[in-house]
Amino acid sequence: MGGTEILHGVDLTLDKGEVLAVLGPSGSGKTTLLRCLNFLEKADSGQVIMLGRTINMPSAGRREIAEYRRHTAFVFQNFNLFANKTALENVTEGLIVARGLAKPEAEQIGMKALGKVGLADKADSYPSRLSGGQQQRVAIARAIAAGPDVIMLDEPTSALDPELIGEVLHVIKQLADDGMTMIIVTHEIGFARSVADRILFMDGGNVVVQTGTKDFFEKNDNKRVREFLGSLSERIGLNEHDTQNQKNDSASHSNSASHGKRGRVRKKGGRK
Amino acid sequence: MNQRLAEILLESFPRIFTQGLLVTIPLTVLSFALALVIAMACAMIQIADVKVLRQAVRFYIWLIRGTPLLVQLYLVYFGLPDLGIVLPSFPCAVLVFALNEGAYCAETMRAAIESVPKGQLEAGYCVGMSYFQTMRRIILPQAFRTAFPPLSNSLISMIKDTSLAANITVTEMFMTAQRVAGRTYEHLALYAEVAVIYLIFCTVITRLQAFGEKRLARMNGGDVIRA
Repeated sequence: MGGTEILHGVDLTLDKGEVLAVLGPSGSGKTTLLRCLNFLEKADSGQVIMLGRTINMPSAGRREIAEYRRHTAFVFQNFNLFANKTALENVTEGLIVARGLAKPEAEQIGMKALGKVGLADKADSYPSRLSGGQQQRVAIARAIAAGPDVIMLDEPTSALDPELIGEVLHVIKQLADDGMTMIIVTHEIGFARSVADRILFMDGGNVVVQTGTKDFFEKNDNKRVREFLGSLSERIGLNEHDTQNQKNDSASHSNSASHGKRGRVRKKGGRK
Repeated sequence: MNQRLAEILLESFPRIFTQGLLVTIPLTVLSFALALVIAMACAMIQIADVKVLRQAVRFYIWLIRGTPLLVQLYLVYFGLPDLGIVLPSFPCAVLVFALNEGAYCAETMRAAIESVPKGQLEAGYCVGMSYFQTMRRIILPQAFRTAFPPLSNSLISMIKDTSLAANITVTEMFMTAQRVAGRTYEHLALYAEVAVIYLIFCTVITRLQAFGEKRLARMNGGDVIRA
């Protein structure tokens, strides 16, 4: 990639129903990792194994990538809704064009997906008429419509005004509660803490730590992670040692960040 | 205005106007339609970055934009017969106008496509659509909206440029006016008259452009900058 090595030997496994949050300072390669995983960037080496099928990343052909993407969905930092399509059309476009569904069937699925993100009443609105938070929720509806095996979210709230972040995190939290498999690159530490099963911490293109969420926040003695969390808690006035703050931490970002257990589905071969 | 002049104008107006409808307009419409096809192909080749073809397209655009339209007309109509290629005047005019306008419109289209954010294509990929599906259904409709006003410009330009076809014996509006002027010596009146007729045609297109822009804006759900 432009001569500079951005990611060095990143290795990750995701079980079905698992939510992985990727954290790390800016420029650490989080977004690049996610984009490589959906073949939006070409990795120079590496492989991805999904549902038992192995794809060699640098040599993957168009067909192989298309087949792979039938199982994935991607949510962009800046939404990337189709500007010439209504909210509903944004959701149904892929279903109709790529998956060959009939329009009525696709619209039924589309309305259901929009309902899930609370935007059924905006079905006929064009993206330019929607707020950033609404646009991102439509993008999430578009992502879940085809029933993907995994959703990759690239800093889904970074482009949003602070007061719109909550509604989007709320929707993502619901997906997690429904057992959706997700990889979320985020700067919302509190959110990651409340929603993720595991945390992947990156710095300078390397995975520094990959561990369970609880361990990451409470038992971590990695110097780099401490610095990162330390600088954040200073900024937002929280202390990550204080477990009481855990609640405030997530509540400040998400209206319904509950800490209840999720019912999870684990399937054989559902490894990625 | 004396009566003789009035009679000349009244008598020549329908003749020139009819010649416009029979020759100038078909010449413009045919050439422009062909030009759009050429432009589209050239833009797509450049966007898709097809190796050798891309060079060929750049060469074509460089060649056409670097030489005068009148010279191109003369080259093809009077020059090519030296190589044994003889074209009747009307098809020759269509060919030259299409090739000429195609080069300019290719740049318009390329710029319009490039103005669509890259994320639109990536989003298409991520919902499973192919490059061509995303191009056709997402990118091109948006690009066309951007390209529409400059393409209308090109069309208006072309209507007037067809008057150059008089030089290669196509009896379009201008040549018809020229003949009446030559016969009656009423140069000022006749050339003013034909200018008015060009103005009428261009006014119609300007109206169509405004209508088209509104429609495209509605189809794209977009807002436009208005103070």
